[in-house]
Amino acid sequence: MADTVIRYGFLALLAALIVFFAFAAPGFASPQSAVFIFQSVAITGILALGVTATLVVGGFDLSIGSVATSAMMAAAYAMVVLEQNALVAVLFCLAIGALVGLVNGIIIVYMRVPDLLATLGMMFLLVGLQRIPTEGRSIATGMTMPDGSTATGTFSPNFLALGRHRLDFFIDNLLPVSVVVLLVLAVLIWFFLEFTRFGRMMYAVGSNEKAAELAGTPVKAYKIWAYVISGVFASIGGILLAARLGRGDIASGNNLLLDSVAAALIGFAVLGAAKPNAFGTAIGALFVGVLLQGLTMMNAPYYTQDFVKGAVLVVALVFTFALSNRAR
Amino acid sequence: MSITRRTFSALGLAAATGIFALPALAQDRPAPFDNAADVQIALVRYLSTGDFFQAYLAGVESQAKALGVDLRVLDSRQDAALQADMVDQAIALGVDGIIIQHGLTESMKEAAQRAVDAGIKVVAFDVNVENEAIPQIEQSDRDLARLALEQAIEDNGEAWKAAYVYVAGIAPLDRRDETWREFKERYSGIEEVAMFGTLDNPIANSVANQARSVLTANPGIQVVFAPYDEFAKGVKIAVDEAGLSSDIKIYSADISTADISAMREPGSAWVATAATNPAVVGQVSVRALAMMLAGEEPGASVIVPPTLITQAELNDSDIKNMEELSAKMPQFNHADVAMPAWMPNPNE
Repeated sequence: MADTVIRYGFLALLAALIVFFAFAAPGFASPQSAVFIFQSVAITGILALGVTATLVVGGFDLSIGSVATSAMMAAAYAMVVLEQNALVAVLFCLAIGALVGLVNGIIIVYMRVPDLLATLGMMFLLVGLQRIPTEGRSIATGMTMPDGSTATGTFSPNFLALGRHRLDFFIDNLLPVSVVVLLVLAVLIWFFLEFTRFGRMMYAVGSNEKAAELAGTPVKAYKIWAYVISGVFASIGGILLAARLGRGDIASGNNLLLDSVAAALIGFAVLGAAKPNAFGTAIGALFVGVLLQGLTMMNAPYYTQDFVKGAVLVVALVFTFALSNRAR
Repeated sequence: MSITRRTFSALGLAAATGIFALPALAQDRPAPFDNAADVQIALVRYLSTGDFFQAYLAGVESQAKALGVDLRVLDSRQDAALQADMVDQAIALGVDGIIIQHGLTESMKEAAQRAVDAGIKVVAFDVNVENEAIPQIEQSDRDLARLALEQAIEDNGEAWKAAYVYVAGIAPLDRRDETWREFKERYSGIEEVAMFGTLDNPIANSVANQARSVLTANPGIQVVFAPYDEFAKGVKIAVDEAGLSSDIKIYSADISTADISAMREPGSAWVATAATNPAVVGQVSVRALAMMLAGEEPGASVIVPPTLITQAELNDSDIKNMEELSAKMPQFNHADVAMPAWMPNPNE
């Protein structure tokens, strides 16, 4: 009995929530609404999948939110100021994400700085760095540069399509590209972590680092790779954010960080895993998305939404720690 | 220099404007501005990141330069205690005048009083320091909301279904909210079907997610009143994504270069915004302080009037950024506030 509750309790809660909103909020139960939910969690979901990789190796990445906003600024800078095309902008962002992840990994593994502190430092560094090229201004076409000239580049339509284009899926113009990206990345990282040797070794490093090392695992390399994955995922999130907003907005990304960490932690409770897992993270992100969508449709003010988000997280953590320990 | 026809016309122009230009000459200014290089003023800031505050600073700098005074900028970066310390620092520096830009009443009240006691002239922008000797510089949030809503009435008549974006507890938004309530009372045909809003960063993205839900839950919304430009940006994204751009009109407050391009996108639902130019607010802050230093009285509250900017005006004049907006809409570029005859106009 307890076992069933632990395994399926959270999924049942999600199902109950969907049924409740379907009756309580008119318009909630529609394909468009389902797509909105996916779209609203696409960016935090992708970040959460990235942070899951670092959680798997027993680490943590606090810098993902600011990596995402830095990537957003970098994309805007590449196109608006440097007048590059969409491909260059995307590659530029991915390179930044990979580089930040690599630096994080090296600082943590070789300099022995604790993961929370290293990535906290990186977070501050990036929040400042993203503002230096424009002296604190947001980036948009026609903006005035620090030297007084005007930026004439524009966001490439191909780039904007990443955040705005919709694919036909049963209904015309239904599925936004960002949702497709989320789903593809979720399946990829799930397969990678569950079924590849590389992924299983990452779990081995996370559950017992010493044992893994004694068994001949290159622990350091696996850890660094986890941060690179996290950085790259965060920069993909930033690319989608830039494509949706159509401008480079000064932002710290702290809310992105908190929401995605919440999703990853809620994921611990899904299917009674009691450990970081990609499927759980995706469900966790979806759970938060369903809640926020439903509450907004019922005209609930923003602070009740924060309250509910926090309550869900606490319940999920209780599921994870108290219940699964008792069953063991 | 060779004398050409252009030289003559330039001379003519100079002669024509001479009568206005004359009072701007330094030696005709009242003390202490007859020797402006010795005048030192300090700007003590609480908020500084973001386009609005950048532009405000640019305005302060331009007016200080036009007067020829020495400007010190002290930036506490949202640290209320540090901001109070910085006022003491400015007192220790021996400045002649201080502009307090934002901050918290509780932390600034006493520091401001210490500055006044030290014989320093003080003005405050958007922070109430509860001191009769300190004039308040304000952008009129009520007027901002009124201008945008009057335009909404003009465009849509007196009866429409509205969604409203609001977060309580933020002073300027609360003042804009008062006007919205008044309008709802005065025009019973305005039906507010949904109210939402969040300040989760990045704000536009979070508001877009909310607005998507609201638009689905409440079909038939005609007007969205989003009295803060980050809100309006978010709503516009949601309206575009829902394919409702031709059915919904967005009215907002504030403006930036990015806002201008969003308003001018073909078929954009964002039709009007009311805004005060932050650079002008910065200039007015310095001018009010300068008047006090010269022994004149700027008044207990100095209000910088807002301007209504419509999508049609932006398109007609082909305005692409804030500089062009200032150049092509003179009422946005300069406010005739705290402008005694001797005051140099920084835009000339």
